[in-house]
Amino acid sequence: MSSIPHDPAADHAHDDHAHHPTGIMRWITTTNHKDIGTLYLLFSLTMFFVGGTMALTIRTELFQPGMQVVHPEFFNSLTTLHGLIMVFGAIMPAAVGFANWQIPMMIGAPDMAFARMNNWSFWLLPPAAIMLVGSFFVPGGAFAGGWTLYPPLSVQAPMGMDLTIFAVHIMGASSIMGSINIITTILNMRAPGMTMMKLPLFVWTWLITAYLLIAVMPVLAGAVTMLLTDRHFGTSFFNAAGGGDPVLFQHVFWFFGHPEVYIMILPAFGIVSEIIPTFARKPLFGYASMVYAVASIAILSFIVWAHHMFTVGMPAAGLLFFMYATMLIAVPTGVKVFNWLATMWRGSMTFETPMLFAIGFLFLFTMGGFTGLVLAITPVDIQLQDTYYVVAHFHYVLVAGSLFAFFGGAYYWLPKWTGTMYDETLGKWHFWTIMIFFNITFFPMHFLGLAGMPRRIPDYAQQFADWNMVASIGAFGFGLSQLIFVYVLIKCIRGDGAKAPAKPWEGADTLEWTLPSPAPYHSFETPPVVK
Amino acid sequence: MAASSDKSNVRSANVRTALILLSIALVFFFGIIFAKFVGDASTGMTVIGFAILLFLVVTIGRSVRRKK
Repeated sequence: MSSIPHDPAADHAHDDHAHHPTGIMRWITTTNHKDIGTLYLLFSLTMFFVGGTMALTIRTELFQPGMQVVHPEFFNSLTTLHGLIMVFGAIMPAAVGFANWQIPMMIGAPDMAFARMNNWSFWLLPPAAIMLVGSFFVPGGAFAGGWTLYPPLSVQAPMGMDLTIFAVHIMGASSIMGSINIITTILNMRAPGMTMMKLPLFVWTWLITAYLLIAVMPVLAGAVTMLLTDRHFGTSFFNAAGGGDPVLFQHVFWFFGHPEVYIMILPAFGIVSEIIPTFARKPLFGYASMVYAVASIAILSFIVWAHHMFTVGMPAAGLLFFMYATMLIAVPTGVKVFNWLATMWRGSMTFETPMLFAIGFLFLFTMGGFTGLVLAITPVDIQLQDTYYVVAHFHYVLVAGSLFAFFGGAYYWLPKWTGTMYDETLGKWHFWTIMIFFNITFFPMHFLGLAGMPRRIPDYAQQFADWNMVASIGAFGFGLSQLIFVYVLIKCIRGDGAKAPAKPWEGADTLEWTLPSPAPYHSFETPPVVK
Repeated sequence: MAASSDKSNVRSANVRTALILLSIALVFFFGIIFAKFVGDASTGMTVIGFAILLFLVVTIGRSVRRKK
């Protein structure tokens, strides 16, 4: 986005008046978008470590062939809950945390449109997380049939499945409330002069993401409600024994599930689109085409769901349609990658930690996109379905995609959030260690998948031993590297570092950088005039 | 006085937008269950079609009213 000059008369003289409770009550009763953003981000970091611990247990079991550490049933519960927690507990709340912190400041609004609903949206999440993790401790244990909750296993599973269904309901309600809030804020509360085509790209990506959430979260909620009635109220939506159709669930689930992938990646696109122009010291190349590309990706995401189901069986015309539709998504995604590269082209680039993460994102996400194109080819997908190639692909997209962008965003905005500059040396150590260990963990999984190793198994043939050992070593390195981030974060929160100026990044030009650092508790009570 | 009237206008606009969005979410939630309950694929398409049509009519209607 090009620079946004705004009226300097719109000062922030009254912004510091923070009338709020103190202690724990501040956080429970807060309606302030910055506090709620902080709560979302800390919650997602906690869940990231919970899900990460499950991942490390999985990798410990897979370190060598044979059964070493956990029972097979518990292993399957771990893979299921790892997926659910990372998707619903870590990545999505992190994106909402960024939205809460940044959107009002970027559009010149004093807060979110519905401040109390914002508080409820967050406080629904901890009970849902407790239910999800608590399902390990009920009779029969946590659901072990995979995060996709396919019947018939999900219809027959013990009580842990009910807790999972309720958790999904609650997290879905939280997401829908959050989305309504975000869309309303963006549409109705922009500062004077902030037209839609002047919105920072992060705001645009979140606007489109929120529409996606409103369209697909109710569909997932409907699907799991039907599962619940099949389990307890004698209906037969998906129960084949009563005339139901389990394949129907897969169609409904993936009608939610594929847009969900973009729900997790579009805010990451937005963050990267803020970071790259700042550190290239150039306006974003092709702003309008970036907006249209995001919208195209969102629309196309509704018509590709069955590429997750090529092996389930469908007419040849269906296979061809979903294959070509999936490949079509590469076009707007390619536009975005081209524009990011063109923004960097002949820019006065510097490589601070946020920029390293943005470039790491660009490199690794593009690799994940390419393997996605490979999997879009129906005959190839039929060969690779349910192998570690698929595991490698979606971790390149979601870990190197969403997670790298979120780390980049955290380093980018930490000075604004805390008023303290992060430790640049440690930030760079964090980037390089996770960049190296990420690839050590997930790149060998392509080889394992191509050699035929199935996913979701606690034991495997001897031929897969070497690469599994490498992947497990990488996973522990990747997990431990995150402690560097925790240390950097604690240092910033405690104010242990150089004091951050209002605009620590020379090339940054969005509205939040006109505020002092740390951003005052109340900001833009008098809307700035954007010229 | 003008400031409080502005605030109340924004508040009403926010509530209107939220209700439209909520109605979309509810149509999708109950629509998917109803469509599967009826067991007919064309019902599902009709529900989604109606939801999109309703959304377009309301948003275009609001936009036209605002321009007048």
